[in-house]
Amino acid sequence: MTTTTTVTVKLSRSNRIYRSSEPVEGKIVIKSPSSISHQAIRLSVNGSVNLQVRGGSAGVIESFYGVIKPIQIVKKTIQVRSSGRIPPGTTEIPFSVNLREPGESIAEKFYETFHGTNINIQYLLTADIPRGYLHKPLSATMEFIIESGRVDLPERPLPPEMVVFYITQDTQRHPLLPEIKTGGFRVTGKLATQCSLQDPLGGELTVEASSVPITSIDIHLLRVESIIVGERIVTETSLIQSTQIADGDVCRKMTLPIYVLLPRLLMCPSIFAGPFSVEFKVCITISFKSKLAKAQPKSDPTAPRLWMALERLPLELVRTKRDQFSC
Amino acid sequence: MEFEFRRRDYGADHESHLLPRSRTQKHPLSSPIASRQHQMKTVRDNDPPDFFDPLRGLDVNASAEDKVEEEEEADTSLSTEAVTQELTKEWKSLKRILIQRFPVSKVISFSPISNVITKGFKVDTPSAQSHLEETGSEKTSLEETAKVIDQQEYLAKVRELIDGITKAWEAEDRVTSLKLSIKVTKLLMDTTVLQFYPTVFVVVTDMLDMVGDMVWERIKEKAEHDVDGTMICTLPNDFQASDICLEARETCYNWFCKVGSVRELLPRIYLELAILPCWRFLINQPREVLDRLVMMVRGLADPLASLYCRLYMVHRMRKLGFCRSGYLIKCVKDIEDVLAPILVGKDGCSCITDDKKLLFNLMEPAIEYIMKCLLLTGRQENNVLGILEELGFGRNKSQPSDNSSHVSILLHHLLKALPSEIVSSQAMEILHMIKCSNDCSFSQVLNYRLLGNRLCEGRSQEGFLSSLVNEIMQAASQYQTLYDYLRIMDAYVDLLLQNKMENHLDALLDALLDDIVTLARDKFLSEEEQASLQSIILKLLSHFEDLQKVLSLNHFIEILDLMSGTSKKSVNMHLLSMGTRNGCICDSTTVQLLFEVSQGLYDATDFVNIKDDDNRQTSHLISRFVEMVDYGAERERQLLFLAECRGAFSGIHELKETLVRSSNTLAVKAGKKHINFVKSCLAFSEVTIPSVTVPTKQINLYLETAEVALLGGLISHTDGLVMSAVECLEDVAPTDGLKSIDADSMASVVCNLCSLLVMVPGNPEKGVLEILKSIFSATCSSSWAMSRLKVKILCAIISLLSTLAQDNLPYRSANPEIIGNDLLFFGDSSYKNELVSWSQLVVGELVDAIEQESSQTARGNIALEACNCISSALVMNEKVSQLCSRLLETAKGCLGATDRYLEATKQSLHL
Repeated sequence: MTTTTTVTVKLSRSNRIYRSSEPVEGKIVIKSPSSISHQAIRLSVNGSVNLQVRGGSAGVIESFYGVIKPIQIVKKTIQVRSSGRIPPGTTEIPFSVNLREPGESIAEKFYETFHGTNINIQYLLTADIPRGYLHKPLSATMEFIIESGRVDLPERPLPPEMVVFYITQDTQRHPLLPEIKTGGFRVTGKLATQCSLQDPLGGELTVEASSVPITSIDIHLLRVESIIVGERIVTETSLIQSTQIADGDVCRKMTLPIYVLLPRLLMCPSIFAGPFSVEFKVCITISFKSKLAKAQPKSDPTAPRLWMALERLPLELVRTKRDQFSC
Repeated sequence: MEFEFRRRDYGADHESHLLPRSRTQKHPLSSPIASRQHQMKTVRDNDPPDFFDPLRGLDVNASAEDKVEEEEEADTSLSTEAVTQELTKEWKSLKRILIQRFPVSKVISFSPISNVITKGFKVDTPSAQSHLEETGSEKTSLEETAKVIDQQEYLAKVRELIDGITKAWEAEDRVTSLKLSIKVTKLLMDTTVLQFYPTVFVVVTDMLDMVGDMVWERIKEKAEHDVDGTMICTLPNDFQASDICLEARETCYNWFCKVGSVRELLPRIYLELAILPCWRFLINQPREVLDRLVMMVRGLADPLASLYCRLYMVHRMRKLGFCRSGYLIKCVKDIEDVLAPILVGKDGCSCITDDKKLLFNLMEPAIEYIMKCLLLTGRQENNVLGILEELGFGRNKSQPSDNSSHVSILLHHLLKALPSEIVSSQAMEILHMIKCSNDCSFSQVLNYRLLGNRLCEGRSQEGFLSSLVNEIMQAASQYQTLYDYLRIMDAYVDLLLQNKMENHLDALLDALLDDIVTLARDKFLSEEEQASLQSIILKLLSHFEDLQKVLSLNHFIEILDLMSGTSKKSVNMHLLSMGTRNGCICDSTTVQLLFEVSQGLYDATDFVNIKDDDNRQTSHLISRFVEMVDYGAERERQLLFLAECRGAFSGIHELKETLVRSSNTLAVKAGKKHINFVKSCLAFSEVTIPSVTVPTKQINLYLETAEVALLGGLISHTDGLVMSAVECLEDVAPTDGLKSIDADSMASVVCNLCSLLVMVPGNPEKGVLEILKSIFSATCSSSWAMSRLKVKILCAIISLLSTLAQDNLPYRSANPEIIGNDLLFFGDSSYKNELVSWSQLVVGELVDAIEQESSQTARGNIALEACNCISSALVMNEKVSQLCSRLLETAKGCLGATDRYLEATKQSLHL
C-alpha cells in the first residue's frame, strides 16, 4: 500500500472529448492510506488561448516580450464537497460541470482544442483539496478536449471541393537545377481544399512526365498561426506531418492516391478570431534525383530547393457532425 | 530273399488318383461388364484414395457412384472455403520457396536504409519526441557506403527486434511495439540485398501477420468486454460493423491513424495491410479502402519492392475475406506497367542482362502466387472469361492492329493457372498472345511449350487443332535452333497423338520430322537436344501399336542415327520392347533394324562387370527379341541368325538359354524329314550349352536337347547329351557353395533326368545301367546333396528301376522308331536281375542317408517318403516289410505315433 495520498481526475469518456454544450462529467479519485480531513473540495475549469511569439516573422523586440497575455475562454470553479473527512482507501467523488452558463448561446468562443507552436488552445480541469495550513494541499489536473458543439455543423460527406493543380518547371518561383528546368516535368492532380477533420485528406496525383528521375513525392501538412502583436501580425508556418506518396521514380501517367489521415489535437477547424488565427496548408513537394540533395542535411522539407518542385495549397478544415467512428 | 518289383498299371493308378473335375461357366476373375465400366469411370474422375482391387469390382455399391457425380458438379465453381484452404496452403509453400530457392552468399551488403540492423532497437521515451519523430521521419544518415553483415547475424538481429515487439506488447506498451514494427518493416525498403530480399520478406511479413493478429484480438476483446472486463457479447464470425461498440471502434480507428502517420510509403502500406482485417470493425464494405491500397502501391517505384508489396496485399485481402478479382486484375495490370520499362531498357533494346535475369527470378514466385490467386478467385466468382477479357484477351479481334503484347512472365503464370477447359477453348487466342509477347522476362519457347502441355490436359476441340499445330510449327521453326524447336514441339506431339486426327496426323508428323532433320543437319546433338528428341520419339513409339508404322515415318531412321548416349539407349530399349510386343517378328528389315538396335544396346552396356536392374532389362529385351524372330520356312537362315546372335551378344547369359531353346524349337519344327538340319541344330545347342554358367540350367538344357535328339531318332546324340548332363552333375564342384535353393533345384533336375531315362533305350555295349550308375555315384559322392535331397534322388532312382522293370513303360518317345527298354530287353532276365541288384544297393544307401539326417522332423518325413517309395516299387515280401517296419519305427521315433503322415502311410501299407 502506498504511503502517499494520490488524487486523480477521471473523465467519464476515455477519449476525453466533450462539446461545449455538454456537461463535463467524471470523478475525483482519492487514494489514501489513512483518513484525511479537508476543507471544501473544489473543481475548476480553465479554458484559454495561450499565445506566444518566437521566431517566425516576429522581430527581435516582439520575441523578447515572449508570452502575450492569454485569452480567457472559460474559468469557473465549483465546490464538489464541503469540508469533512475522507476515509482511508479509495474514495471517488463524482462531478459534473456545465461549461456554458444557462442562457449563454455563443458557442463560437469555445474554440476547439489545438496544440500548435505559437498558439495553444487548452482546456484543463483542476481538482483542489485544501487541508489547512498544516498540510500541503492536494491537487490534480486533467486536460479535456473540446470539439465544436454547434448545432449547425455540416453533414458528412462534405461536398467535394477539389482544386486541380499543375506542377511544372514553369510554376516554380524558386530556381531549379538547369537539367530539371530544361528537361521539364509535369505533375497534375487534384486535392480537396475543404476537408472534414474526421475525414482523411483526399485527392490524387499523376506524374505525366519528368526527364529527371523523381526520388520522392511528399504531402506535407502545415499550420499557419498568426497573432496580432501590437500593430503587427506575426505569422509562423510550421510542419505538422509529412506523408510520402511516391518512393522512387514512379511510372508515368499512373494515378497515385493522396490519402492523409489528419492527426488529432494538432489540427482543428480553421479559426479567424480577432487577435489570432489558425489556418492550414498543404504543400506538395517533388524531389528530383540530384547529388546536391544527398549533400544537404534535411532541415525543413518544405523549403524551396534547387532539386525540388513545390506546390502550396490552402486547406480549410471544418468540423462536421460526428460520424460512426467519431474520435 | 530277393527284392521283386511290383507290377504296375500306371494308367489305372493315374485314373484312381485323379481329383474329381467339373467345367466352370465363367472365368473366376471376370466380373459383369457394368461394374467394370463403373470402375473405369471412378478411376478417371477422381483419383481413388486407395488401391482399387480389380477383383472386388462387384463390391462397389451405388452410393459411391452418386458421390462421384456430386464431386463432378462441384468442380465447376469453387467454394470460398476451398479457395481459402488452397491459398493458405499455397502461401505456406510460397514462404518455403522464397527462403529456399534463392541462394544467398553468407555475407549480405545492405544500404543505410536498413540501419536498424546495425543500430539496434533502442526506443527513446515517447515524451521526448516530437510528433514528427514519432511518425518515423528520422533523419537519414549521410553515409552512402553499403554495410556488410553476416546473414545469420542479420536474421538474428531481426528476430531480436521481433522478440522486442512481442515483449513490449505483453507489457501493454503498444506504442513501442508499433514503433519496432515500423522499424522492422522498413527493412523491406532496401532491395539492394537482392537474393536475400525474399527471405527478409518472409520474416517481416510473418511479423506483420503476428502484429495484425494481436491488434485484431485486442479490438475484438474491447468489442466483447466493457472497461471492467465483463463480457458484453460474443461476436459472431460474420459480425457487422454496427455490432461493435464505440470504444472498440475508436481504438481501431486510432490504430489506423497511428499507422497512417508513418511518413514513408512502404512501411505505411505494409502496416495498414497488417491490420487490414480490422477494417471490418469499422465498415462493412471495404471497397474504397482496397481501391485506395491498390493504387497506393503504385507509389513504390522499385519493381521488386512493389511486387512483393502487392504479394502481401493479395495475401492480406484474402485474410480480410474481401478479395475480388477486380483488385487483383488492377494489381496485375500495374505489375505489367512496372515491368514494361524494365523490359525495354534505357537504350531501347530488349537484351537481357544478368541483373534483369536475377530480378525476374526473384519476382517469379510472387507473380505465380498472385496469378494463382487471381484465377482461383475468378473460378470462385465463376468469371474466368471476364478476367481474361479484362486482361486484354480477345481485344485484338475488334482491333486487329492493336498491339496486344503482354509481359511474358505474367502470361506464363496466367496460362499456368488457367483452368484447362478455358485453355482449350481459348487456345488460338492464347497462341496469338504468346506470339506477340517476346521479351526477356520469360522464354517464349517455354510459353509455347506450356500451352501445349496445358492443352494436353483438357479435351480440345479438334476443329482448330490442326491449324493451331501448323501455326505452332511455323513459329517454332522460326527459332532456327533445333533445341528450341524440339522443346516446343515436344509438348505438341502429345496433343497430336491424343486427338487422333487421322487425316492430318501423318502429314503433320512428316512435316515435324522434316523440320527436325533440316535443323539437325551436320550437327552433333547436345545433351539437352538429345533429351528433347528422346522425349518426342518415345511419345511416338508409345502411340503407335505397330513398329512398322513408326519405321515408315519419314526420316525416322535418320533421326535415330542422330542420337547417342543414354538417350539412344532409352529409345533403343523402347524400340526393342515395342518390336517384341506383338508376337513373332517376321519382316527381315525389322529384324535387321532390331538386331542393330540390340547391338547398340549391347555395346552401350557393360554386362560383365555391372549387374543391375537396367542391365537385366536390357538382356531380357534382347533375349526376347531373339526368341520372337521367326523366319518361317527359312530355317537355315534362322539358325544362322541364332549363331550370329551368339557371337554378337556373348556377354548375356540369359540369351544362351534362349538360343538353345530356339534352336531346339527349330529342330523340332523341322522334324525327321530334315534330319541334317536337326543335326545342325543339335550341334549348335551342344556347342552353346557349355557356356551357360548355372549348372542346373546347363543340365536342364542338356536334357531338353537330349529329348529333341531322341525325338529326331538320334540315339547316339541323345546318349552323348545325357552323358554330358551327368558329367556336368559330377562336375558340380563342392567349392561352388550352392545355396540350398540351388541344391533343391539340382535335386529336381536329377529327378528330371531319371524321368527322361525311362524313354532312352539302354546301350547294351556300354552297359544298360551305365548312366544310372553314374547318377548314383555322383549323388552319393556329391557334397551339395544333403540327406533330404539324397533321399529324394534315391527314391527317384528306385522308381526308375521299378519302371524299367515293367513289361510296359508308362510313356515312350514320340518318335515311333525309338524302341523303349521294355521291348529291347523283353524277357531278358539278366537285365531284370541287374535292376534288382541295383535296387538293393540303392535301398541300402537310402537307409544310410536317412540315418544321417540330423533334424528329427526331417528324418521322420524322409523315412516315410522312402517307405512309401519302396512299398510302391517293390513287392511286399518279408525283407521289404522288415525294411518298411524299420523305417516306420524311425519315423515314429522322430514324429511321434500320432503323426498323420505316419498313420496314412501305415494305412496304405495295410500294417
